Amino acid sequence: MIDRKMQSVLSLKSKKAGAVATITLRQQLAYKTDFIMRSTFLLLILFVFVQLWSSAYEGDRTRIIDGYTLKQIIWYLVFTEAITMGVPSLCSLIENEVKNGDIAIRLIRPISYVGYHYAAYLAEAVFRFFIHLAVGSIIAWTFVGPPSFGWGWAGLFSLTLGAISIAFLLNMVVALCAFWVEETRGMEFVLHKLQFTVGGMLLPLDLMPEWLQRICSWLPFQAMLYFPARTAVNYGSASLLQQAAIQAGWIAVLAVCTVMMYRKGVAKLHVNGG
Amino acid sequence: MSTVALQTHGLSKSFAVKRKAAGLSGSLRSLWHPQWEEKVAVKRIDLKVDRGERVAFLGPNGAGKSTTIKMLTGILHPTSGEAEVLGLTPWRERTKLAFRIGAVFGQKSQLWYHLPPIDTFDLISRIYELKRSEYLARRADLIDRFELGPYLDIPVRKLSLGERMRCEIAVSFLHRPQLLFLDEPTIGLDVVVKQRIRELVLEANRVEGTTVFLTSHDAGDMEELCSRAVVIHHGGILLDAPVDRLKREVLSRKIISLTLSSSFEAGTLPDLPGTELMESEGRRLKLAVDLKQTGIESVVSALIGKFRLDDMTVEDPPMEEIITHIYGSGG
Amino acid sequence: MSTADNESRQAQTALGTLRFLLTCWKVNLASAMEYRLSFFLLAGMMFINNFMWLFFWSLFFHRFPVVNGWSLSDVMMLWAVGAGGFGWANMMFGNFHRIAPIVSGGQLDVYLSQPKPVLLHVLASRMSVTAAGDFLFGLAVYAWVGEHTLSGGLRFAAGLLISGLIFMGVMIIAGSFAFFFGNSEGIASQVFNSFVALSTYPADIFRSVAKVLLFTLVPAGFISYLPIGLLRDYNSGFVWQAAGMTVFLLAAGSLLFRAGLKRYTSGNAIAMRG
Repeated sequence: MIDRKMQSVLSLKSKKAGAVATITLRQQLAYKTDFIMRSTFLLLILFVFVQLWSSAYEGDRTRIIDGYTLKQIIWYLVFTEAITMGVPSLCSLIENEVKNGDIAIRLIRPISYVGYHYAAYLAEAVFRFFIHLAVGSIIAWTFVGPPSFGWGWAGLFSLTLGAISIAFLLNMVVALCAFWVEETRGMEFVLHKLQFTVGGMLLPLDLMPEWLQRICSWLPFQAMLYFPARTAVNYGSASLLQQAAIQAGWIAVLAVCTVMMYRKGVAKLHVNGG
Repeated sequence: MSTVALQTHGLSKSFAVKRKAAGLSGSLRSLWHPQWEEKVAVKRIDLKVDRGERVAFLGPNGAGKSTTIKMLTGILHPTSGEAEVLGLTPWRERTKLAFRIGAVFGQKSQLWYHLPPIDTFDLISRIYELKRSEYLARRADLIDRFELGPYLDIPVRKLSLGERMRCEIAVSFLHRPQLLFLDEPTIGLDVVVKQRIRELVLEANRVEGTTVFLTSHDAGDMEELCSRAVVIHHGGILLDAPVDRLKREVLSRKIISLTLSSSFEAGTLPDLPGTELMESEGRRLKLAVDLKQTGIESVVSALIGKFRLDDMTVEDPPMEEIITHIYGSGG
Repeated sequence: MSTADNESRQAQTALGTLRFLLTCWKVNLASAMEYRLSFFLLAGMMFINNFMWLFFWSLFFHRFPVVNGWSLSDVMMLWAVGAGGFGWANMMFGNFHRIAPIVSGGQLDVYLSQPKPVLLHVLASRMSVTAAGDFLFGLAVYAWVGEHTLSGGLRFAAGLLISGLIFMGVMIIAGSFAFFFGNSEGIASQVFNSFVALSTYPADIFRSVAKVLLFTLVPAGFISYLPIGLLRDYNSGFVWQAAGMTVFLLAAGSLLFRAGLKRYTSGNAIAMRG
């Protein structure tokens, strides 16, 4: 009896999240030119990377450097770019909602604020991830051959959900600073630069010097880009379970931070006007 | 069930504003040693609204109207004081309360800009956990009452402001809120649309017993929609009275507009106590009558005896004037 | 009219234009100084952004010391010339990449009603605040790894001049298309981003068709080969070509802009809103 009640509550909640996700996606489809622009830019950048890494490998397809062939490097970059470009800019969204008071129309609803944004974010990020993955694959497939990664694909998809959740929480922690400070762009900028370097977006951590690898392993950024992309191209080089556990750990830590910050922040919210 | 819709005790909200000295050194100093200044938005408001009431919450810009509404809906946390809305503390039980109240912010759209309104209806039905059949019936009813049929499948960005506002208000009725907060619902709309929206809100109040709590700049909203007016100024309550009484007492003046059959000559006006000529132009003139000094009937009969008239109207001065009057005597 | 008269009239106009430009820059600087704090923050952020790229390259070259003849210091000089050139152009002629929105937004009216060269006036009417960071970054990198001789300094200055003018020429051409094809803002910003991105990778990593394109249709190669052809192993053939390309781009840009002015309809803005 109680079980069934619980179940129906859960189904209502998931339908709620589903409805938020659906409408976010539908609204996304209105920005077609935006997608085309981003996609062509991705094509260009990946083409440049193909050229750069081909030069670095001196065109040798069989050479293995720190566990990566040229083909693996290029596909690695396709995966990190797809995740990076999949993540929408939460900071500007939240900052605008707080600044112009649009947060009011979120808070009059019987739904958690962070939860609402997570549902919307997930829909957008997953959708964009797959589009960019498809676009990036065109380049990689053409220049370095098909992605025959077998279990790697399973590894990629299973770690990507955790990865974009970590990206959400990291961005949310920065975005929620909008309750206290007027400008969060500066901090968002720093965050992006950290993903870009110590997250392994342009360079797998394995190719970095020892000392930097050791630092990276203590930071959440590797779990966001390096884990899924490395697992995809080099399945089995690290335990999937262990990586998932590290992701879960970071998600727990960051989720606690996010909730605490939200509670503290919303209590001191003041909306302009009237 | 309690008959009280909402009640507040000493509800206050103040927030800190950073003060910054001019120039670069000022900017840098405020970076390390920020100086904060306290700004009081709402000051110890005591208010009680019964279920089914229609209350207008009035005041000039920055008086604290929106801040109060946002505290009552749980969006903002107060600095001090208590509030109970439908038996709940808004900021502590925001989600629970949200199921039972509705809110429309005239300057903030809750509709999804690139999508037709019907998508927002669907989303809202899920967010408020409405049963599918119940939702569809309710939606059909609202579409009918608000005459939304033609707009439902058009992206919101292509709707006019009036069409959009009708959708906004209809959406907020979807979950049958017991208490409806309207923050400037008619801002920027033309007279006809304003009128229509007032009628729709009144109907909901009559048919469903929805309590209405409204802020507005437009005196018409209060005159035609509300039975009680609460005026706030500098964050505190200045006046709390039935709209009728407000009209009767504060408003002791009537405006008489006349159109004569021949042009008006100065000095021909009969000498009546408490009557003054406000303006005259050709055959038209406007008189203000102070009802405390003279009855409206005696003025009208004196005018009819003196002039040949084509037209005459007697009306209240605009509500803006009344409010200004209250500020004048109270502030 | 005598030739002497004519010459003095021309000299006067040139002097007048120069004075006018100086005033533009003074006004721009003054208004940027009104927001000093955000000015320094933004400029600093750009500086750091560029620096993060150098960090990436240092990691890359740590693993592959020489790639197609390029070493870390060459790429650093590429960033010095690219960012520095972009920086001065964007400081002095900050509207150079915003011609498309200005044209399609119908904002040329102000400039057209005043008796100064329209294109120059448009270009000089904005000063980008982030660009100061780019420019200073260029100087700092030169001070760090550049050749500190008179000839080295002069060649670096020439590199800055060429790269800045090429950026401007390309964007004036791309922006002027807005006169001919209504809503080409998206395309122009796409050209801008792609061109800037392309110019930050060593020219020598590209092969065959890509390389030909880089020195013809998409002349980013004339920027990204400067560190080798001008700074490291001075190659007069390349330098003359680069100078020729610069002159050609600027001439083509101003001709296209002038042709476009004839088709300019200021009513665009109203048409768009309706």
